[in-house]
Amino acid sequence: MKTNEGWTEVAFNGRDPVYLQVVKFFKEQLVIGKMEAGQIIPSRRELGALLKINPNTAQKAYKEMEEQQLIVTEGNSPSRITMDENVLRAIRAELIGEAVEAFVASVRKIDVPVEELLELVKHKYTEDKQLNGGKQGGGAQHD
Amino acid sequence: MIEVRDIHKKYRRRKVLDGVSFQIEKGEITCLIGTNGAGKSTIMKAIMGLTPFRKGEIIIDGQKLGKERYEKISFIPDHLTMPPAMKLDEAMVFMADFYRSWNEDRAKELMGFFQLEGKERIGNLSKGTAAKFNLLLGLALDTEYVLMDEPFSGIDMFSRALITEVFSSHLIEDRGVLITTHEIADVEHLIDQAVLLKNGSVIRNFNCELLRMEESKSIVDVMKEVYQA
Repeated sequence: MKTNEGWTEVAFNGRDPVYLQVVKFFKEQLVIGKMEAGQIIPSRRELGALLKINPNTAQKAYKEMEEQQLIVTEGNSPSRITMDENVLRAIRAELIGEAVEAFVASVRKIDVPVEELLELVKHKYTEDKQLNGGKQGGGAQHD
Repeated sequence: MIEVRDIHKKYRRRKVLDGVSFQIEKGEITCLIGTNGAGKSTIMKAIMGLTPFRKGEIIIDGQKLGKERYEKISFIPDHLTMPPAMKLDEAMVFMADFYRSWNEDRAKELMGFFQLEGKERIGNLSKGTAAKFNLLLGLALDTEYVLMDEPFSGIDMFSRALITEVFSSHLIEDRGVLITTHEIADVEHLIDQAVLLKNGSVIRNFNCELLRMEESKSIVDVMKEVYQA
């Protein structure tokens, strides 16, 4: 499975429920294209071993993802990421929303005029994209 | 389920355990947390019937058990108890003779997983390797419960990672596990239930995911509240 490399690097924090962090991890992988719609996901036991978590937690994460319709299990076949475009779009929107919210919450304390802020964001965002796009795999470092 | 019910124990005039009660569920990992001398090892020994106690009882799957408990629970103490002159292979033969629940295939699998050499003598093992073999001896028993006393103490980070891996594998699945540890960081995301001991009693007992969910606290946060207050 092509997603295997990324698994070992998951660093869980101590204060959020681990199963929800696993769900978040799946959503992130999906949004950044490391996982694909329709892809078969590891079994509960495999996931436990991959992420070094308790199989109970893996089970709980899968249950949650099933409830959120992020994964689907039909009969005895292994679970897959959903093909439902609406769910996938909603996940993307959810993650972008969360990131923007966190950014706004932290920058609001400084009280920047919105035009100045938008200009800064635009500049920084396009600059980073160019850097990353131009030096693929070069391990580009920011100063 | 193992039920520890109201255990009291004194060493001379000091109360070591002062009414300890908690439960170990099958399919879950329970962690006993406490400062040195809090009675963690004593509780494990009490469950195994290796130390007498003044009051209280240990109920295993609804029964008070005698020596039958050794086929039902395996105890991995914090040091290897096999004679140093024995080879690893010999120690495993010893286990096979002693326990009906000894699972030869699983022992072999673990020898490979931990990269242990059967011809080696126990006395020549490094601390980390001895800890792995110690774990092997306990995990290769097909028991419903496993008690591990400080499985991470004095072990380098790579061996620790290997041992951590055991906890998310089929070697543990469906068994009821009780561990004690100082290095909570290693197991923080693995354990289901935490039992915090202070002055010989259980001061907090919680499900770790529920704690994170309802109070947004880490296990370490609660430990600070309990032990630094």
